[in-house]
Amino acid sequence: MSNTTLSHHHDPESDGAKAVCIDASVRTPVLLLFGNALHWLVVASFLALLASVKLVAPGFLGGVAFLGYGRLSAIARDLFLYGWASQAAIAAGIWLMARLCNRTLGGVLLRTLINSAVVLWNLAVLLGTLAILAGYSTGVEWLEYPNWASAMLFLSFLMIGIWVVCLFDRRAGIESGGRAEPALWYLVAGFCCFPWVYGTANLLLTWKPLQASAQGAVQGWFCNGFLILWLLPVALGALYGLLPRISGQQLNRRNLAPLGFWLLILFGGWAGLARLIGGPIPAWMASAGVVAGVLFLIPILIVMINLLGLRRGGDNDGNITWQFLRGGLSFILTAGLLAALLAMPSVSAFARFTGVTVSLDLLWLFGAISFPLFGVIYASLPGLLGRECWSVSLSGLHYWLNFAGLCLLTTILILDGLFAGLALLDPVVSFLNITSYAQPFHVLEGAAWLLLLASTVIAAANFTRALAAERLFPKK
Amino acid sequence: MHRLSTFLIGILLVFLTSWVGVVAYSSNKLGHLDPIADADTGGSLPPNLQGDAIAGQRVYASEGCIACHSQQVRQTSVTGTDIARGWGVRPSVARDYLRDSTAFLGSCRLGQDLSNVGIRLPDAKWHYRHLFHPGSVCEGSIMPAFSHLFEVRKIQGQRSDEALDLTGADAPKEGCEVVPTTDAKNLVAYLLSLRHDYPLPEAPVKKGAEATK
Ligand code: HEC
Repeated sequence: MSNTTLSHHHDPESDGAKAVCIDASVRTPVLLLFGNALHWLVVASFLALLASVKLVAPGFLGGVAFLGYGRLSAIARDLFLYGWASQAAIAAGIWLMARLCNRTLGGVLLRTLINSAVVLWNLAVLLGTLAILAGYSTGVEWLEYPNWASAMLFLSFLMIGIWVVCLFDRRAGIESGGRAEPALWYLVAGFCCFPWVYGTANLLLTWKPLQASAQGAVQGWFCNGFLILWLLPVALGALYGLLPRISGQQLNRRNLAPLGFWLLILFGGWAGLARLIGGPIPAWMASAGVVAGVLFLIPILIVMINLLGLRRGGDNDGNITWQFLRGGLSFILTAGLLAALLAMPSVSAFARFTGVTVSLDLLWLFGAISFPLFGVIYASLPGLLGRECWSVSLSGLHYWLNFAGLCLLTTILILDGLFAGLALLDPVVSFLNITSYAQPFHVLEGAAWLLLLASTVIAAANFTRALAAERLFPKK
Repeated sequence: MHRLSTFLIGILLVFLTSWVGVVAYSSNKLGHLDPIADADTGGSLPPNLQGDAIAGQRVYASEGCIACHSQQVRQTSVTGTDIARGWGVRPSVARDYLRDSTAFLGSCRLGQDLSNVGIRLPDAKWHYRHLFHPGSVCEGSIMPAFSHLFEVRKIQGQRSDEALDLTGADAPKEGCEVVPTTDAKNLVAYLLSLRHDYPLPEAPVKKGAEATK
């Protein structure tokens, strides 16, 4: 993508120069974050593949304590959440905020601070992973890292996040009364919600745990909040920021966007309770979860109205950023619909605890969130490196393998879940009987993870190749 | 939405609704529940946990049992399946988790719900054999073996009472025995303590209801 794609003004010459300065100022942290994120993604996909093999052949790697299914799956998920998605979201946030606000990241001191935060973040992920391997998991789902590791993540985020949020007030055109665009609202909201959601959940569940009777609701609130209030807004920031610029068209029904934004934050917080339908929480909480979970469709539909109509003339397939962003948009719609269905008690009754619930989280994380983040990676690197750097064939392969792998994985999980869920309704069918029929599904899940692993290896290779090209083929 | 300060106040207010409603309510109300006096035994409900069962929770967390097992019997208004399957005699309520350090509610059921496994499977020896090699007691089980929670050692004089009765490929070499480590003992003590069959004011138990396998 050319350097001028992201500028507002009419003078491409000076904007181009400005974009070059901005990119130069954020280059180191953004490349470090994206690079580390991609490599964690490969590790996590590999571990997820191992875990899925263990479901088919429980004896595989048996007897190695630190590679049991329970630990492997926790490590893989946390690497997806903290190693990959959060880290890529931070990088995307830095680059998008700087570009959309048309401001450079100033000062040696600030840059050193941010670069050290990046190191701290990755150190925390590494140590947290090792701690789970060694058996020091907290046992709280999605928050398995020991309290010191989560404190490091929290601190590291603050060191970067504050600066990103403050850019909102320094944006170009603010003095002349220019309004902020929707992409900026979403980015700022995401960056504000991370410390709230992650800090609160860790405080009450791992740093200074509440009485266990109160933990359930907080757990549900956290899982949803982490996806919907932190990661999804950054992904939406990417979509709102990049899609109109690439297509050269305006948002459709721009006046609906504020409503969509506020409802997303409102219902996103409450919808977490839908994860606990029927569980040990007060009845009114479960009802609130149902209502919020279903109404969450409204902000999703507004996003679709705003963005789905944007079209690019002719060569859509050629533009990898565009492909990933559009893919992300369709996954947001799919995940939103599935989430609303699962929030209905009659559906939750048989689908909860099965592959259907697993599938929903995967759709959010690997589709709705990861696809737009990949879009940002593909959009930002040429500017950051100052040259066209992607291998077109690798990029295309990455997209299709990723798309196919995710569709296969989520479809299989949904079928598996529906099958098991409906069979469980009949108490005469024994539990072991149901598990044994699930075996073919587990084999297919393994195959899907293999596709996803291949796609992430290609993505990481493409990235590494892009960076290395400079040294391999120096400019004359 | 022009200035950061006004915008942030907006986000804060909207965010606060769920924060107050879910988090603050939980920690203030549900976080301060008290046990109920048990008229029959003079003890309290839910019953206190023994030290080994408390230590067992750490093993449960560290091995990641939560990846495959939930610990919650759902409300009958949502589904009767959990109770029909014999996973409990009444729905779980917040007070049931009072004695736990972490509420292992779980989100996935590749294995059965364990809230009442202590009633269903009260035999420690069964659990040892199952943990050592699930397939040996449950044909075709996909639960991983936790053999690292056991120790193979030379028999010194008499065979230990704790030694597992293993047959076939699992059996140790002549003159050796397989015994549970402290971790395994604690874990099994915890599993046996999992029984939510006592009545609570908010979760009465119907007369004649009994957990079945
Ligand atoms: C890969 C997922 C998986 C993991 C991890 C797992 N289990 Fe299981 N568990 C199962 C399956 C499947 C069954 C049903 C088959 C069987 O009984 O072996 C089961 C059954 C059980 C049962 C018997 C329940 C009953 O009602 O018959 C107990 C007890 C149990 N598991 C305890 C544990 C403990 C303790 C851990 C952690 C140390 C654990 N499980 C980890 C999958 C798992």
